[in-house]
Amino acid sequence: MTSNSPSSGDKLLTLRWDNWLLALLAGIIAVPIATLLLPGFLAVVVAGIFIALVVITAIVNAWSRHIGGLLVAPAIAVLVVMNIFPLLWSLGLSFYSYRADRQTLRFLGTRNYERLITDPVVWDRLTTTAYLVVLTVAVQMVIGFLLALLFSKQFPLRRYLLILVLTPMMLSYVAVGAFFRYYYDPTFGLVSQIANLFTTEPFVLISSTAGAFAAIVIADAWMWAPFVMLLVLAGLVSVPKHLYEAASVDRVPGWRRFWWITFPYVKGLLLLALLFRTIEAFKLFDVVFILTDGGQSTETIALYVYRQAIQFNKTSYSSSLSYILLFTVIVLTNLYLYLANRRSKEA
Amino acid sequence: MASENNPALRLTNISKRFGDVVALEKLTFDVRQGGFFVLFGPSSVGKTTTLRAICGLETVDSGSIEIDGKDATLAPIRDRGVAMVFQSFALYPHLTLSENFAYPLREAGVSTNEIKKRVGETVEMLRLSHRLDNKPATLSGGEQQRVALGRALIRHPKILLLDEPLTNLDAKLRHDMRAELKRLHRQLGMTIVFATPDELEALSMGEDIAVMETGHVVQQGTPDELYERPRNLYVAAKIGSPHMNLLEAKAQPDNKGLDTPFGPLVVHHRDLPADEPLIMGIRPTDIKIAKNGEPHILTKVRLIEPLGDLTIVSFNAGGSHLRIVLSEADAIGIQPGQDLGVVIAPEYVHLFRKADGVAIANAA
Repeated sequence: MTSNSPSSGDKLLTLRWDNWLLALLAGIIAVPIATLLLPGFLAVVVAGIFIALVVITAIVNAWSRHIGGLLVAPAIAVLVVMNIFPLLWSLGLSFYSYRADRQTLRFLGTRNYERLITDPVVWDRLTTTAYLVVLTVAVQMVIGFLLALLFSKQFPLRRYLLILVLTPMMLSYVAVGAFFRYYYDPTFGLVSQIANLFTTEPFVLISSTAGAFAAIVIADAWMWAPFVMLLVLAGLVSVPKHLYEAASVDRVPGWRRFWWITFPYVKGLLLLALLFRTIEAFKLFDVVFILTDGGQSTETIALYVYRQAIQFNKTSYSSSLSYILLFTVIVLTNLYLYLANRRSKEA
Repeated sequence: MASENNPALRLTNISKRFGDVVALEKLTFDVRQGGFFVLFGPSSVGKTTTLRAICGLETVDSGSIEIDGKDATLAPIRDRGVAMVFQSFALYPHLTLSENFAYPLREAGVSTNEIKKRVGETVEMLRLSHRLDNKPATLSGGEQQRVALGRALIRHPKILLLDEPLTNLDAKLRHDMRAELKRLHRQLGMTIVFATPDELEALSMGEDIAVMETGHVVQQGTPDELYERPRNLYVAAKIGSPHMNLLEAKAQPDNKGLDTPFGPLVVHHRDLPADEPLIMGIRPTDIKIAKNGEPHILTKVRLIEPLGDLTIVSFNAGGSHLRIVLSEADAIGIQPGQDLGVVIAPEYVHLFRKADGVAIANAA
């Protein structure tokens, strides 16, 4: 530990294995100093050591206070290794110039971010992503809602159809992508086969920008409309039946009943579905990757990050881009939550 | 026939089944214009189904419903002019109180000014003016009850149906709301059909009470009629608190009196069926403590339940348990285990055939 005051007695400053606050404090002070003084690679090592130190002291602390500390330790360890460490590590990297295929490291400060924000390609990819988010989420919400209305009624085979409708949600993205790739295939795909009934020209859906967008939106909506349906259905069945009866005695016509009674019950869940789906759609990658691989200007920001990071090995550059994405999603989430809370306070 | 002479509501031979379950079976009753009519019976005898059939939420299998002399058996809900207060209140949870009131009116196409006027009247009447901007969930049980009532009243319905509206309230509120409902009924003069399993509610509120048993009306009458001349054992046992004492008895061969568990008893009934087991009923208030020297039935006190100004005394008489209600003053000094002489006035004795429970007319 680098920063340690000799005046002990103060709880925060005692040098102990369970004093994770001290470790965190030390890290916050030491890492920037190391960044400025040491060569780049050593600075990263120092940062890594401090991150490990904070984690270890936090676990020791939890362990000394509750026996449960050790029980959750494996889960925390996995979380640290898989999520927290990469997250912090890439945050650190985003301030450096670093490529995964070279071992040189140079501190850049916020220059990566400055470059990103002024890069027209990034803005173009963000625009593409925004179009896809709006289109696919809108389609999912509408279809999911209609499906929920359908399944809130009783009809024969309802249970089996429900299982069938829910299946796409459980498939892997890659499988869905592959399915639709075959559907859209120009020579033997189902879509072109049907198109060939009406026209002799070969039908290639993905050959135009609009067609490619449509292809992606259809595939993603097919996969996620059931999710929206599930949430909305939960809202629909929670409406007390006597409210409908009260409304019919109050002489309220059917569709008005839907607006005044059903909708307020579904509203919250609809907002939740919107939130989940927007965040997910923002990260849209797999389906695009498999269907168009970014062709016909369908490259989403997630695909762009992947390309920069994996194909061009611009590790630190893509890290900063990822952080911009993370920040955007967090802002979006909080905006939704703020709106949702305000609504629920009104209710 | 002038419409004023028609009953506000007439149900004739209504039957309704849910699958194999018979909910209503040849249900028949009349409700006079402006009356306070009570449907009384324990739970699951079909009170709610009856109300739902009247307002049109259930279609009946057979029989007819007339509202104001016009057949309404198959009329759509909106044409019946009926409002209903549900047991669960069924307030619109996301609308404020004033919106809850205004909503049905707006749907009925009433003008904004009229709505404002009526909402004002209604909240005034129900003393809810200070709560107008609250959502139902923030109101107390009694206030929710009044909102539910107000939402029904504000439409000025011809008939107001109340489905156990007081069951969800605590005892004190229930008492207040009973008075409140009677006041509103007098003030507004509309026809009210009130379903309740609570005999106190039925007797204290109803001008006309129909006692229901498994889907049909056993007896319809004023509270006094039901209390004094129950048509059968079922009504006798349901009406009156504490319940009527019921004992097995038999007519004496000379048709003069009864053989009871505690000895012979002279009664005023004529034409007592000989050789048939009978049930004798006597109200706890109709048994008196014998005065000095009066011929009496000797009993042993079992239990004393003081209720404040009244005291219920249970005792053994010839192997059966009886209960009497005494004023607090009369009950002073009575101890469990003590012998007590009681007198049963023959004019207050009810007699029923044991086989079918049908009452035998008392000549007195």
